[in-house]
Amino acid sequence: MNNMFPITNKTAQTVWNNFDRELIHKLKPLPSEEQSDIRLEILSHLYDAMSDHSSSPNETEEIKLINAISNLGSPDEYLTPLIADILLYQNASKGYPSAILQGLKSSAKKGLMHAFATFVLGMGYFWTIMIFIMAFMHIINPDIGIWYYPTGDISLSFEAQPNAQQWLPTWFSLIGISGSALAYWGLNKVLSYFIARLSKS
Amino acid sequence: MGSDKIMERWVPQFRKGLLEFIILLRLQQGHSYGYELAMQIKDVTMIEVAEGTLYPLLNRLKRDGLVVSEWQTADVGTPRKYYQITSLGLETLAKMKNTWTETHNSILNLVMQS
Repeated sequence: MNNMFPITNKTAQTVWNNFDRELIHKLKPLPSEEQSDIRLEILSHLYDAMSDHSSSPNETEEIKLINAISNLGSPDEYLTPLIADILLYQNASKGYPSAILQGLKSSAKKGLMHAFATFVLGMGYFWTIMIFIMAFMHIINPDIGIWYYPTGDISLSFEAQPNAQQWLPTWFSLIGISGSALAYWGLNKVLSYFIARLSKS
Repeated sequence: MGSDKIMERWVPQFRKGLLEFIILLRLQQGHSYGYELAMQIKDVTMIEVAEGTLYPLLNRLKRDGLVVSEWQTADVGTPRKYYQITSLGLETLAKMKNTWTETHNSILNLVMQS
Protein backbone atom coordinates (compact mmCIF):
# COMPACT_ATOMS: atom_id res chain seq x y z
CA MET A 1 0.00 0.00 0.00
CA ASN A 2 2.78 2.38 0.93
CA ASN A 3 4.22 2.21 -2.59
CA MET A 4 0.94 3.39 -4.03
CA PHE A 5 0.06 6.15 -1.62
CA PRO A 6 2.75 6.76 0.94
CA ILE A 7 1.60 7.17 4.52
CA THR A 8 3.65 9.83 6.24
CA ASN A 9 2.11 9.78 9.69
CA LYS A 10 3.40 7.19 12.15
CA THR A 11 0.02 6.56 13.80
CA ALA A 12 -1.64 6.15 10.40
CA GLN A 13 1.12 3.70 9.49
CA THR A 14 0.40 1.63 12.61
CA VAL A 15 -3.34 1.68 11.90
CA TRP A 16 -2.70 0.53 8.35
CA ASN A 17 -0.26 -2.20 9.40
CA ASN A 18 -2.82 -3.62 11.83
CA PHE A 19 -5.62 -3.49 9.28
CA ASP A 20 -3.49 -5.01 6.54
CA ARG A 21 -2.30 -7.79 8.84
CA GLU A 22 -5.90 -8.67 9.70
CA LEU A 23 -6.87 -8.47 6.03
CA ILE A 24 -4.09 -10.83 4.95
CA HIS A 25 -4.93 -13.23 7.77
CA LYS A 26 -8.63 -13.32 6.91
CA LEU A 27 -8.00 -13.82 3.20
CA LYS A 28 -5.65 -16.77 3.76
CA PRO A 29 -8.22 -19.50 3.01
CA LEU A 30 -8.57 -18.19 -0.56
CA PRO A 31 -6.33 -19.02 -3.53
CA SER A 32 -3.50 -16.47 -3.83
CA GLU A 33 -4.97 -14.84 -6.94
CA GLU A 34 -8.27 -14.16 -5.16
CA GLN A 35 -6.41 -12.94 -2.07
CA SER A 36 -4.46 -10.28 -3.95
CA ASP A 37 -7.50 -9.28 -6.02
CA ILE A 38 -9.66 -8.62 -2.94
CA ARG A 39 -6.80 -6.99 -1.02
CA LEU A 40 -6.08 -4.64 -3.91
CA GLU A 41 -9.77 -3.75 -4.24
CA ILE A 42 -10.03 -2.91 -0.52
CA LEU A 43 -6.80 -0.94 -0.74
CA SER A 44 -8.14 0.94 -3.75
CA HIS A 45 -11.35 1.68 -1.83
CA LEU A 46 -9.40 3.06 1.14
CA TYR A 47 -7.24 5.17 -1.17
CA ASP A 48 -10.31 6.66 -2.84
CA ALA A 49 -11.95 7.29 0.55
CA MET A 50 -8.84 9.04 1.87
CA SER A 51 -8.47 11.10 -1.31
CA ASP A 52 -12.11 12.17 -1.25
CA HIS A 53 -11.69 15.69 0.10
CA SER A 54 -15.42 16.41 0.00
CA SER A 55 -16.07 14.05 2.87
CA SER A 56 -13.08 14.92 5.04
CA PRO A 57 -11.48 18.23 4.00
CA ASN A 58 -9.43 19.17 7.05
CA GLU A 59 -8.79 15.88 8.75
CA THR A 60 -5.37 14.47 9.49
CA GLU A 61 -4.04 11.43 7.67
CA GLU A 62 -4.67 9.03 10.55
CA ILE A 63 -8.23 10.28 11.07
CA LYS A 64 -8.92 9.92 7.35
CA LEU A 65 -7.61 6.36 7.39
CA ILE A 66 -9.52 5.43 10.54
CA ASN A 67 -12.72 6.89 9.06
CA ALA A 68 -12.16 5.10 5.76
CA ILE A 69 -11.64 1.75 7.52
CA SER A 70 -14.59 2.35 9.80
CA ASN A 71 -16.92 3.29 6.89
CA LEU A 72 -15.92 0.09 5.17
CA GLY A 73 -17.46 -1.76 8.12
CA SER A 74 -16.27 -4.69 10.15
CA PRO A 75 -14.11 -7.08 8.09
CA ASP A 76 -16.29 -9.90 9.43
CA GLU A 77 -19.32 -8.22 7.88
CA TYR A 78 -17.95 -8.08 4.33
CA LEU A 79 -15.01 -10.51 4.17
CA THR A 80 -16.63 -13.50 5.84
CA PRO A 81 -19.57 -13.75 3.40
CA LEU A 82 -17.30 -12.93 0.48
CA ILE A 83 -14.77 -15.64 1.38
CA ALA A 84 -17.44 -18.21 2.24
CA ASP A 85 -19.22 -17.56 -1.04
CA ILE A 86 -16.07 -17.87 -3.16
CA LEU A 87 -14.83 -20.97 -1.34
CA LEU A 88 -18.14 -22.80 -1.37
CA TYR A 89 -18.66 -22.17 -5.07
CA GLN A 90 -15.08 -23.08 -6.02
CA ASN A 91 -14.88 -26.17 -3.83
CA ALA A 92 -18.24 -27.53 -4.91
CA SER A 93 -17.27 -27.04 -8.55
CA LYS A 94 -14.05 -28.93 -7.87
CA GLY A 95 -15.97 -31.75 -6.19
CA TYR A 96 -14.65 -31.33 -2.62
CA PRO A 97 -16.81 -33.59 -0.41
CA SER A 98 -17.09 -31.10 2.50
CA ALA A 99 -18.29 -28.34 0.15
CA ILE A 100 -20.74 -30.77 -1.47
CA LEU A 101 -22.15 -31.71 1.95
CA GLN A 102 -22.39 -28.06 2.99
CA GLY A 103 -24.11 -27.18 -0.30
CA LEU A 104 -26.60 -30.03 0.10
CA LYS A 105 -27.25 -29.02 3.72
CA SER A 106 -27.94 -25.38 2.82
CA SER A 107 -30.15 -26.48 -0.06
CA ALA A 108 -32.23 -28.82 2.12
CA LYS A 109 -33.02 -25.98 4.55
CA LYS A 110 -34.59 -23.85 1.83
CA GLY A 111 -38.07 -25.34 1.62
CA LEU A 112 -39.87 -28.28 0.07
CA MET A 113 -38.72 -27.89 -3.54
CA HIS A 114 -35.12 -27.46 -2.46
CA ALA A 115 -35.41 -30.41 -0.09
CA PHE A 116 -36.70 -32.54 -2.96
CA ALA A 117 -33.90 -31.34 -5.25
CA THR A 118 -31.41 -32.09 -2.45
CA PHE A 119 -32.83 -35.60 -2.11
CA VAL A 120 -32.49 -36.19 -5.88
CA LEU A 121 -28.95 -34.79 -5.87
CA GLY A 122 -28.06 -36.80 -2.75
CA MET A 123 -29.32 -39.99 -4.38
CA GLY A 124 -27.37 -39.08 -7.50
CA TYR A 125 -24.18 -38.77 -5.47
CA PHE A 126 -24.94 -42.01 -3.62
CA TRP A 127 -25.41 -44.07 -6.80
CA THR A 128 -22.48 -42.42 -8.54
CA ILE A 129 -20.15 -43.30 -5.68
CA MET A 130 -21.68 -46.79 -5.44
CA ILE A 131 -21.14 -47.51 -9.16
CA PHE A 132 -17.59 -46.15 -8.92
CA ILE A 133 -16.76 -48.47 -6.00
CA MET A 134 -18.36 -51.46 -7.72
CA ALA A 135 -16.60 -50.75 -11.02
CA PHE A 136 -13.31 -50.52 -9.16
CA MET A 137 -13.93 -53.74 -7.20
CA HIS A 138 -14.97 -55.51 -10.42
CA ILE A 139 -11.31 -55.46 -11.47
CA ILE A 140 -10.50 -57.77 -8.53
CA ASN A 141 -13.76 -59.72 -8.39
CA PRO A 142 -15.44 -60.06 -11.82
CA ASP A 143 -18.72 -61.22 -10.20
CA ILE A 144 -19.37 -57.70 -8.91
CA GLY A 145 -21.52 -55.77 -11.34
CA ILE A 146 -24.96 -55.28 -12.81
CA TRP A 147 -27.03 -58.41 -13.30
CA TYR A 148 -30.27 -58.72 -15.20
CA TYR A 149 -32.87 -61.45 -14.99
CA PRO A 150 -35.00 -62.96 -17.76
CA THR A 151 -38.00 -61.26 -16.06
CA GLY A 152 -36.47 -57.87 -16.84
CA ASP A 153 -35.41 -57.08 -13.25
CA ILE A 154 -31.99 -55.57 -12.71
CA SER A 155 -29.75 -56.03 -9.69
CA LEU A 156 -26.55 -54.38 -8.53
CA SER A 157 -24.69 -57.15 -6.83
CA PHE A 158 -21.40 -57.98 -5.17
CA GLU A 159 -21.74 -61.68 -6.07
CA ALA A 160 -22.87 -63.83 -9.00
CA GLN A 161 -26.66 -64.08 -9.26
CA PRO A 162 -28.27 -67.43 -10.11
CA ASN A 163 -30.41 -67.43 -13.27
CA ALA A 164 -29.18 -63.97 -14.14
CA GLN A 165 -26.81 -62.65 -16.76
CA GLN A 166 -24.12 -60.07 -16.05
CA TRP A 167 -24.25 -56.79 -17.97
CA LEU A 168 -21.09 -56.19 -20.04
CA PRO A 169 -18.66 -58.06 -17.74
CA THR A 170 -15.63 -57.10 -19.87
CA TRP A 171 -16.39 -53.38 -20.02
CA PHE A 172 -18.11 -52.82 -16.67
CA SER A 173 -15.02 -51.38 -14.91
CA LEU A 174 -14.17 -48.99 -17.71
CA ILE A 175 -17.76 -47.83 -18.27
CA GLY A 176 -18.46 -47.69 -14.51
CA ILE A 177 -15.39 -45.65 -13.59
CA SER A 178 -15.57 -43.22 -16.50
CA GLY A 179 -19.38 -42.95 -16.30
CA SER A 180 -19.39 -42.28 -12.55
CA ALA A 181 -16.59 -39.72 -12.91
CA LEU A 182 -18.64 -37.95 -15.58
CA ALA A 183 -21.80 -38.14 -13.45
CA TYR A 184 -19.87 -36.77 -10.43
CA TRP A 185 -18.69 -33.83 -12.52
CA GLY A 186 -22.23 -33.22 -13.79
CA LEU A 187 -23.72 -33.39 -10.29
CA ASN A 188 -21.10 -30.90 -9.04
CA LYS A 189 -22.12 -28.49 -11.79
CA VAL A 190 -25.80 -28.84 -10.87
CA LEU A 191 -24.96 -28.35 -7.19
CA SER A 192 -22.85 -25.25 -7.99
CA TYR A 193 -25.86 -23.84 -9.84
CA PHE A 194 -28.01 -24.51 -6.78
CA ILE A 195 -25.47 -22.90 -4.47
CA ALA A 196 -25.39 -19.82 -6.70
CA ARG A 197 -29.20 -19.62 -6.56
CA LEU A 198 -29.19 -20.19 -2.80
CA SER A 199 -26.80 -17.35 -2.09
CA LYS A 200 -28.99 -15.06 -4.19
CA SER A 201 -32.16 -15.86 -2.31
CA MET B 1 -40.53 -3.07 21.75
CA GLY B 2 -41.43 0.43 20.50
CA SER B 3 -42.15 1.19 16.84
CA ASP B 4 -38.97 3.28 16.55
CA LYS B 5 -36.93 0.34 17.69
CA ILE B 6 -38.68 -1.95 15.19
CA MET B 7 -38.11 0.57 12.39
CA GLU B 8 -34.43 0.77 13.33
CA ARG B 9 -34.19 -2.95 12.61
CA TRP B 10 -36.56 -3.08 9.62
CA VAL B 11 -35.29 -0.14 7.54
CA PRO B 12 -31.67 -1.38 7.10
CA GLN B 13 -32.92 -4.87 6.20
CA PHE B 14 -35.40 -3.46 3.70
CA ARG B 15 -32.77 -1.23 2.11
CA LYS B 16 -30.10 -3.93 2.03
CA GLY B 17 -32.47 -6.16 0.08
CA LEU B 18 -32.69 -3.52 -2.61
CA LEU B 19 -28.96 -3.06 -3.00
CA GLU B 20 -28.44 -5.51 -5.88
CA PHE B 21 -31.24 -3.79 -7.81
CA ILE B 22 -29.77 -0.36 -7.09
CA ILE B 23 -26.25 -1.45 -8.12
CA LEU B 24 -27.56 -2.75 -11.44
CA LEU B 25 -29.59 0.44 -11.97
CA ARG B 26 -26.49 2.52 -11.38
CA LEU B 27 -24.30 0.33 -13.62
CA GLN B 28 -26.84 0.65 -16.40
CA GLN B 29 -25.74 4.29 -16.63
CA GLY B 30 -22.11 3.32 -17.10
CA HIS B 31 -19.22 1.47 -15.53
CA SER B 32 -18.19 2.27 -11.98
CA TYR B 33 -15.90 1.13 -9.15
CA GLY B 34 -16.58 0.15 -5.54
CA TYR B 35 -16.02 3.46 -3.76
CA GLU B 36 -17.87 5.50 -6.39
CA LEU B 37 -20.82 3.08 -6.25
CA ALA B 38 -20.90 3.29 -2.44
CA MET B 39 -20.91 7.10 -2.51
CA GLN B 40 -23.59 7.30 -5.20
CA ILE B 41 -25.81 4.82 -3.40
CA LYS B 42 -25.44 6.88 -0.22
CA ASP B 43 -26.17 10.16 -2.03
CA VAL B 44 -29.12 9.00 -4.08
CA THR B 45 -30.86 6.60 -1.73
CA MET B 46 -29.67 7.77 1.71
CA ILE B 47 -28.94 4.12 2.43
CA GLU B 48 -26.42 3.95 5.25
CA VAL B 49 -24.77 0.58 4.82
CA ALA B 50 -21.19 -0.31 5.57
CA GLU B 51 -19.34 0.33 2.31
CA GLY B 52 -17.68 -3.08 2.49
CA THR B 53 -21.00 -4.91 2.19
CA LEU B 54 -21.09 -3.92 -1.48
CA TYR B 55 -18.22 -6.25 -2.30
CA PRO B 56 -19.91 -9.58 -1.52
CA LEU B 57 -22.87 -8.34 -3.60
CA LEU B 58 -20.64 -7.29 -6.50
CA ASN B 59 -18.91 -10.67 -6.34
CA ARG B 60 -22.26 -12.46 -6.51
CA LEU B 61 -23.46 -10.33 -9.42
CA LYS B 62 -20.21 -11.10 -11.19
CA ARG B 63 -20.48 -14.84 -10.57
CA ASP B 64 -24.03 -14.82 -11.89
CA GLY B 65 -22.78 -13.14 -15.05
CA LEU B 66 -24.77 -9.93 -14.47
CA VAL B 67 -21.65 -7.77 -14.31
CA VAL B 68 -18.04 -8.08 -15.40
CA SER B 69 -15.05 -6.40 -13.84
CA GLU B 70 -11.78 -5.05 -15.14
CA TRP B 71 -8.81 -3.47 -13.41
CA GLN B 72 -7.87 -0.06 -14.77
CA THR B 73 -4.74 1.83 -13.83
CA ALA B 74 -4.75 5.56 -13.31
CA ASP B 75 -1.92 8.10 -13.63
CA VAL B 76 -2.16 8.80 -9.92
CA GLY B 77 -3.11 6.45 -7.10
CA THR B 78 -4.12 2.84 -7.00
CA PRO B 79 -5.68 0.87 -9.85
CA ARG B 80 -9.46 0.65 -9.73
CA LYS B 81 -11.65 -2.34 -10.39
CA TYR B 82 -14.43 -1.18 -12.69
CA TYR B 83 -17.70 -3.06 -12.92
CA GLN B 84 -19.81 -3.10 -16.05
CA ILE B 85 -23.29 -4.50 -16.60
CA THR B 86 -23.59 -7.38 -19.10
CA SER B 87 -26.40 -8.15 -21.54
CA LEU B 88 -27.66 -10.76 -19.05
CA GLY B 89 -27.50 -8.06 -16.37
CA LEU B 90 -29.59 -5.72 -18.52
CA GLU B 91 -32.11 -8.47 -19.21
CA THR B 92 -32.33 -9.29 -15.48
CA LEU B 93 -32.58 -5.61 -14.61
CA ALA B 94 -35.55 -5.19 -16.97
CA LYS B 95 -37.32 -8.03 -15.14
CA MET B 96 -36.37 -6.54 -11.77
CA LYS B 97 -37.84 -3.21 -12.85
CA ASN B 98 -41.12 -4.91 -13.77
CA THR B 99 -41.23 -6.72 -10.45
CA TRP B 100 -40.38 -3.50 -8.64
CA THR B 101 -43.14 -1.56 -10.42
CA GLU B 102 -45.73 -4.26 -9.78
CA THR B 103 -44.75 -4.64 -6.12
CA HIS B 104 -44.55 -0.89 -5.63
CA ASN B 105 -48.03 -0.39 -7.11
CA SER B 106 -49.55 -3.19 -5.04
CA ILE B 107 -48.03 -1.89 -1.83
CA LEU B 108 -49.03 1.67 -2.70
CA ASN B 109 -52.62 0.50 -3.14
CA LEU B 110 -52.51 -1.19 0.25
CA VAL B 111 -51.02 1.92 1.84
CA MET B 112 -53.66 4.14 0.24
CA GLN B 113 -56.45 1.84 1.48
CA SER B 114 -55.14 1.80 5.04
